[in-house]
Order: sequence, then structure tokens, then C-alpha cells
Amino acid sequence: MAGEAADAVARHKRLVRSALAGWAVLIYVFLFAPIILLVLFSFNANQYGTLPITGWTLHWYHTAFSDFEIQDALKTTLSVAFEVTVIATVVGTAAAFPLVRSNLPFRSGIRAALTLPIMLPGLLIGVSLLTFFTSVLHVQLSNQTVVIGQAVYVTPFVILVVASRLEGFDRSLERAASDLGANAYQRLRHITLPLIGPAIFAGALFAFTLSLDEFVITLFLIGGGNTLPIYIYTQVKFGITPEVNALATMLIAASLTITAVAFVAPGMVKRARRRRRMRPRAVTET
Amino acid sequence: MTPRRPPLARRLGPYAGFSPAVVLFGGFFLAPLILIVLYSFWEVVNYNVVHHWTLDNYRYFFSVPTYVTTMWDTIWVAALTTVLTLLAAFPLAYWLARYVRPSVRRPLLVLVIVPFWTSYLLRVTSWTTILGEKGVLNRFLEAIGVIHQPLSFLLYDRPAVILVLIYLYFPFAALTLYASLERFDWMQLRAAMDLGAPPRTAITRVLLPQIKPGITVAVIFVFIPVLGEYLTPQLVGGTRGVMIGNLIVNFFQGAEYTRGAAISLLIAALIVVMLVLFRKQLDVADTYGR
Repeated sequence: MAGEAADAVARHKRLVRSALAGWAVLIYVFLFAPIILLVLFSFNANQYGTLPITGWTLHWYHTAFSDFEIQDALKTTLSVAFEVTVIATVVGTAAAFPLVRSNLPFRSGIRAALTLPIMLPGLLIGVSLLTFFTSVLHVQLSNQTVVIGQAVYVTPFVILVVASRLEGFDRSLERAASDLGANAYQRLRHITLPLIGPAIFAGALFAFTLSLDEFVITLFLIGGGNTLPIYIYTQVKFGITPEVNALATMLIAASLTITAVAFVAPGMVKRARRRRRMRPRAVTET
Repeated sequence: MTPRRPPLARRLGPYAGFSPAVVLFGGFFLAPLILIVLYSFWEVVNYNVVHHWTLDNYRYFFSVPTYVTTMWDTIWVAALTTVLTLLAAFPLAYWLARYVRPSVRRPLLVLVIVPFWTSYLLRVTSWTTILGEKGVLNRFLEAIGVIHQPLSFLLYDRPAVILVLIYLYFPFAALTLYASLERFDWMQLRAAMDLGAPPRTAITRVLLPQIKPGITVAVIFVFIPVLGEYLTPQLVGGTRGVMIGNLIVNFFQGAEYTRGAAISLLIAALIVVMLVLFRKQLDVADTYGR
């Protein structure tokens, strides 16, 4: 009797486990099907960018590469992303220090306020900035207005990344440097920056990828130009095309590469530095 | 005579790092928001905003049944999306945290995030190639003989909006739930069952209360951004999938700035109220145990 009951429990457990595993498989299919289809259709000769597959071709990549509009959009996207990254990294890193280190009144409140640009819909940032630029500042919409709008949205992410690193920072290292005669610049250059450098780098890459992909704010603030997401949007309004699929595949490859770099690079830099200086492990590990 | 307090410059010194952020957020986030607040209480005459105080923008919004319906529909869509996303994400997070070997866990978690790192716009548009009348799903169902005519309700309607929104926000929910399940001590479940609790009771009375902060954060991470969605209803929603974000854009494009501002503020107010209510659980550092 008891053995039978135990058997039933074991069977039930196995059932639950395989049901959960099955669900996980379905979820991964759900998550990846749209992306895999995009990639698949970019190699499909069918000019409607959908099923059936009528043959394999690299033609759409060729047309995407030689399309001047895409080239322009790519240039705009990269230059906007570069400027946004510089602004967000500088502003975000500068703000992370007092946020973590000073004994600020209402610190958690200020922290929450700084993350507000992430929590409010991008639509509101776009619409309010559009109104502000056109009716108060009376400036023409341009790539620069896009840069400002995206910087407002992206900077909080950099603050969060750098601040979380600073929180685990052992300040006695800085004090030790000062005790040993380092001035403020030397302390920053040789102690603080190397230790939080990976976080700043990760924050910058984060900012760059967010900017590359940003859509809603850009839609409102862009002047005559196009960024890649805006270009794609104007194309897919009336149905997806194979060129867009090819472009999409390249974008996916690019952002996956950047993300992989963001994940792998800090560890590699750390390891390389450790090897070069042959420092004891305990010091670099903080 | 010695000054009682250090000079201003020194007192402000530690906060100097904030100054670029104050310029950026004060000048280009706060100021525009204040402008929108003011706009929502002013009126438009002949396409010009006149500084004449009024509540008409709000009154107008609530006087048009379509707008009010759209607002309730938006809240309803956001709520339904949140519930479905969490229901889909919980079993996955549970499986990862409890049954998967730690060495395999990490790559599987990264796989959950990967879609998040591909373009938002493209993830939405790809669904049009799946759900459309000539889309992958219809072709597949026709090929296996389930249907003989393409299903047209799959795209350009509310179900498509909800499906795509679940797709977009799934990684947030899954990761947040995983983060709190990972720290749960599974022996407690066993203890509850050894003491005679049926599995369901053990889960609802022992597991769920302990991961409640994680659930709250997941709810916030899905519900709030969905409230302000514009692109998804625009691309896959058709006329029946319209959400409040689309109304806001229509007003601003139609130069009805003050009315658009009023609706924007209604949404912003709803979000801020939710954030304040859940302030405690929103301390991300706490949730992820950093």
C-alpha cells in the first residue's frame, strides 16, 4: 500500500516535471519563432517576404546594401547613437557618484525620480519634448533634438549600471591611495576608474544599443532625416519586404554582437589586466 | 570670526556630479512635463495655444464615449496582458529555478533575454508575417487541413495586440520571477508537504507569499509600459486594437495639443500613482539581491 502511494507520488512528480519542461520548450519556440522567421525570409527569393520559400538568395542583402536611403539612415543612426552614448555615459557616471556616495537627503526618492524617464512611456517623453522644442524653444527638429530626447531616456540606465557597481566598491582602496600620497587625479586615474571601468563600459554599450533601437521618442523628434528604425517603420507600414528582412537580420546580428561584447569584454579586460600586472587576486577582485 | 558652516561651494561639492544630470533632466524632462501639465489646462484657439485656464480638455475627454471606452480598454488590455504574461512566465521560471542544473540554467536564461536585445520594432513587425492572412500560421493550418480559408481575425484586432504585448514583455516577467524563485529555499515546500499540506496549498501558502515582491515588480514591469504602448496597436491592432497611446498621437498630430496633453497626463498620473503605491517593492536592488 505504502509502496503504491510512493509510486504514485513519484509518477506525479515526473509528470509535473515533464509538463514544465514541455512548457519551457513551447515558450522558447514562441520567443524565437518571429526572429528566426525574419532571418529565414531574408534569404528567401519570394519578393513578398513571406511563405512560400521559392528559393535561396543573397539578393536582398545586395539591394539593402546598395540602397542609398538605408545608407543614410545607417549613418544617422550611428552618429546619433554615438552622441547619445557620450552624453549618457558622462552625465550618468557623474550622477552615479553622488547618488551612491554622498549622504543625500531623500536618497531613495531622488533615485526613484532619476528612473522616472524609464518608467514613463517613451511616448510622453516624445510628445512633451516635441511641444517644448517647437513652441517654447522654437528650434527646428533635427538629429540633435533626437539626441537630446534619447539621452533623457538612456541616461537613467547608465546611472543604474554604474551606481550598482559603485555600491560594491571598497572605498578603503581610495583611502589607501591617498595615504600613499596619490593626489585626486592619480586616485581617480589609477584606482577608481580601473575598478568601475567595466561598469562604465557596460553602461556605454547599453546606451549605444538602446539608442540604435529607440523608436517612439525618435519618431516625434526627428527632422528631415531617418534613423534605421524610422526607415523600417515607413517601409513596414504597408507590409514587410524582403529588403527589410535582410536589414533586420543584419541589425539582429549587430546588436547580438554588441551585447555579447558587453557581457564578455569586462571579464576579459579584467583577466588581461590581472595577468599583465601579476597583482594578487584579492586586490583586483573587489 | 569663523564661519559656522563651511562655505557653500564646499557644502555643495559632493553633489557636483549631479549638475549635468540636473541640466539634462531639468531642462529636457521636467520642463517639458511641466509644459504638458500647463497645456492640459489651457486651450487651443485657431491652432494656437492660448493661456486661458480651463478644465475643458479633461471634460472633453470624458464627454466622448469612444475615448473613455478606449481608456478602459487600454487598462483592461494592460491588465490581461500582465496576468497572461505572468501565467506564462511563472512555470518557466519555476522550472529553471527548481529543476534545471545550474550549469544549463545560465545559457537558458540568456536565451530568454536574447529576443529583448533584438529590435523592438522588428519583433512587432515579424508578427505580421506570422498572423496575417497569407502569414505563416494560416499557411501552416491550411497545410495540415485544420482550416480551408485563412483566418482573418488573427491580425489587426485586439487578440493580436495582446499576443504581441505578451511576447514583448515576457523577458521582464520571466527574469524577475526567476530572480525571486532562485532565492527560495525549496526545502520549505517539502517541509510543508511533510506536515500534511497538499502541493497546491504548499505553493499558495508557503511559496507565493515569499516571492510576492518579485511578483509585484513583474506586474509593474509589464503593466506600466503596456499602458503607454503605441507601436504595437498601431502595427498589429487595426482599428479595433486602438489604445490610449494612439489617441495621444492622433491629438498631437491633429494640432489639438491641449487635449492630447490632458490624456497624456491622465496616463502619467495613473503610472505615478502605481509607482508610489508599489514604491517599496520597486527597490530593484532588493529584488535582485545585489
